[in-house]
Formats: sequence, structure tokens, C-alpha cells
Amino acid sequence: MSANSETKKKKAVLRTVMYGAVSAAMLAAVFSHSDALTSLFSLGGIYAALPIATVFAFSFAHGAFASNLWSALGIEATTKKTATRPAESVPRPAQRPRARLRMSA
Amino acid sequence: MTEHALEAAKFIDLTWMNVSFLFIVGFIGGLVSGFIGSGGAFVLTPGMMSLGVPAAVAVASNMCHKFPKAMVGAYKRFRYGQVDLKLGIVMAASATVGVQIGIKIQEWILGKWGEAGSNLYVSLSFVFVLITVGSYVFYDAWKSSKVTDADPVPKLARRLQSINLPPMIHFKTANLTISLWFTIPVGLLTGLLAATIAVGGFVGVPGMIYVIGASGLISSASELVIAFLMGLGGTVKWAMAGMVDIRLTLIILAGSLLGVQLGAIGTTYVKENMIKIVMGSIMIIVAFSRALAVPQYLAQLDLISANQSALSFMNMVSFALMCLALAIGAVIILGSMIKAKRAELVNRQVSETYENV
Repeated sequence: MSANSETKKKKAVLRTVMYGAVSAAMLAAVFSHSDALTSLFSLGGIYAALPIATVFAFSFAHGAFASNLWSALGIEATTKKTATRPAESVPRPAQRPRARLRMSA
Repeated sequence: MTEHALEAAKFIDLTWMNVSFLFIVGFIGGLVSGFIGSGGAFVLTPGMMSLGVPAAVAVASNMCHKFPKAMVGAYKRFRYGQVDLKLGIVMAASATVGVQIGIKIQEWILGKWGEAGSNLYVSLSFVFVLITVGSYVFYDAWKSSKVTDADPVPKLARRLQSINLPPMIHFKTANLTISLWFTIPVGLLTGLLAATIAVGGFVGVPGMIYVIGASGLISSASELVIAFLMGLGGTVKWAMAGMVDIRLTLIILAGSLLGVQLGAIGTTYVKENMIKIVMGSIMIIVAFSRALAVPQYLAQLDLISANQSALSFMNMVSFALMCLALAIGAVIILGSMIKAKRAELVNRQVSETYENV
């Protein structure tokens, strides 16, 4: 069990580094050409696709980085809680007192 | 030449202070969003404006970060079984219409009373909605903390669910059936509010809890689906107008994608009503924050006369309160996560001890 979680953590660390590198590379690419890109991305009209596509791509890489970072740090969802609510109890029909056989001593 | 100068004025120069501020506020906004389904936007837009970003660019860049953040948050909470996709989509449909209505109202007010009038309308909407809804949410959270863990369906929702008005829709994850007609006003108001104060979730989440009858967990998770769809639609519009500053968007996203996932993880550690407590607290503090900004707009419209330095002071306190609201939300979320995690570790240690006996 412990070996399993060790492997999981190692994988998370590896993925964190990998996605972190991709995310950092994307940020570096944008900020090293920030003036040109900012102007290009704000030309409007059909160029609207550029910031939207960039943001989607960045979110995949950085989102994966963030997810693996928290896992690598041991911060994960607990499985104890369920999302379902307790079912509403159905009102039972009123019980009529049943006739009971009384035995006198 | 003038056009180029205008373009240059649209985008601020970035300093390390600006970048850090945006990253941190983005992170905390994401944390709160991942937890209660909305938030962050109401601090980010004024936050950017306080750095000198023009209002339209601030709103556009904020929106461009909001939809992917909501997407990542929604995906994470979907994997935890908290998202009712159908509920999110059905609500988003009427919310989109609500956004258009909200925009039309804004344009009418802008035309009639100018920018000060528009700002006054936005601030008064903030105050009215946040005080009423926020107080109720807080009161409900306090009430339910006094009873058992069970989270019963609110009375209004139960009544509405029992009304048979076709088409009736069954929402599997939320485990409820309700007429489509009752989802429409909640969706419309969510969209209307989103177009007015940039945070539709302050009506959307309580609406889903108290009117439709979904649990706090599912409502806040499904709200992220609505936020994604509305945010994407709004961004397309703003991007086509050339208003998105991609640098600001990416910096905020860098922080908020970290925060939103942490917030989502946090929801699995806490009791249901913690979501209501965080939401209620933030809403009430922000209501006070916006109330302090109202005199400034009244003065600009010559409805009252006020001392300029008093107005500046009130604006400063207003902004500080807004940041405080987010910070308090973050502290409550992180605090309850740490507490729950510690309890889990103790339980694990205890059970391991007994195993070895």
C-alpha cells in the first residue's frame, strides 16, 4: 500500500515538473514578445480567436501542473464525503394499534 | 497616430508589484471560486482598475480568465461527483438570456445618466442583492450548524418540486425533479446579475439551493459550469472588440488555476454548511464595501455634496474591505481544510495503532 502511494507521488512530481516546464515556456514565449502579442491579440474581429486559443492551451498545461503540484504535496481530495444528500424519509401510514391478546395471570 | 496613442493607453506597463498583486489576488479569487462556485471577479476587476487598467480592458481580461478557470474547477469537481452537468447547462441557457437583458439595462442607464449613473446603479445592485441574499445564506448556515449533519431540502424548493408543471426535468446528480419553468427565473437573474456586477453566482448558487433544492455542494459545483459557459460567451464578445490584455489574463490565470483546484479539493474536507458560511461572510463584507463607494457616485451626479478628501478616504476603505472579504474567505477555507486534514491524520494514526495491538 505504501509502495503504491510512493509510486503515485513520484509520478505526480514528474508530471508537475513536466507540465510546469510547458507552462513556464508558454509564459516566457508570451512575455518575451509581450508588446507585439498584446497588440496582435487586441486587433479584434477574427483575431479574437488568438487570446481565446492561447488561454485554453495555457489552462490545459498550467491546470495539469497545478493539479499534479497539489498531489505531489500530498494535498488531495478525501474520499470520505459523498455528494449525495440523505434520502427524504417517506411518511409512513399511521399505525392503528393492533388488538393484542391479553393473558391474565 | 492618435489611434496608436489610444492603443498604447489601453495597456498598462507591468511592474513586479503589479504582477505579484495580480497573481496573489488571482490565487485567492480562484480558491474562493473553487469552493463556493463564484467570486474573485468582483475584486479582480476593481483591482486591475486600481492599477490603471481602463474599465473595459479590466472587465474583458477578467472574463477571459474566468471561463478557463471555471472549466478547470468544474472538471475537478465533476470528478468528485459534485457537478450536475444538466443543471448547469439548463441554468446557463436562461442565464445567457439574462446577460443580454442585463447589458441592455446597463446601456439604457449609461445613456440616460452617464458613467456616474451607471456606477451608482451597479453599486446599489451590489448592496441590495448582497445584503439580502448574503444575510439569508448566513442565517441559514448558522441555523443548520445547530442541527445534525443532515442537510434537508429547503421548504420553498420542496414546494416547488412538488408542483407538476410540464416540462418536468430530472437532475440525476442533484437527485431532484422540478419544472423547467422554475429554473428559468433563477437562470435569468443569475445572468442579469453577472452582467451587472460580474458575479452571477451570488444569486445562482443560493437560487439553486433555496429555489431548486440542490445541495450546497452540488449548487456551487454546477455554478462553475454556468460560469464557464457565460464567461466564454462574454469573452468572445469582448475579444472581438479587442479589449483583452493577454498579459493580465495569463498572470491572473497562473494564480487562479492553482487556487481553484485547492478550493475544489477543500470542498471534500468540510461540512456542507461551510460553503454557506464562506459565501454569506464574503457577500456581507462586499456589500459594506460597495455601500462605501456609493457617496462618490451620488456626489458625481450632484445628488449630494461631499468633501473630496472624505470621499477618497471612503473609496480607500471600500477597496480595502473588498480585499478583506476575499482574504477572510481564504482564511476560513484554508483553516477548515487544515483542521479537517489534521483530524483525518489523527483518525488514521488511531486506527493504525489499534491494528497493531
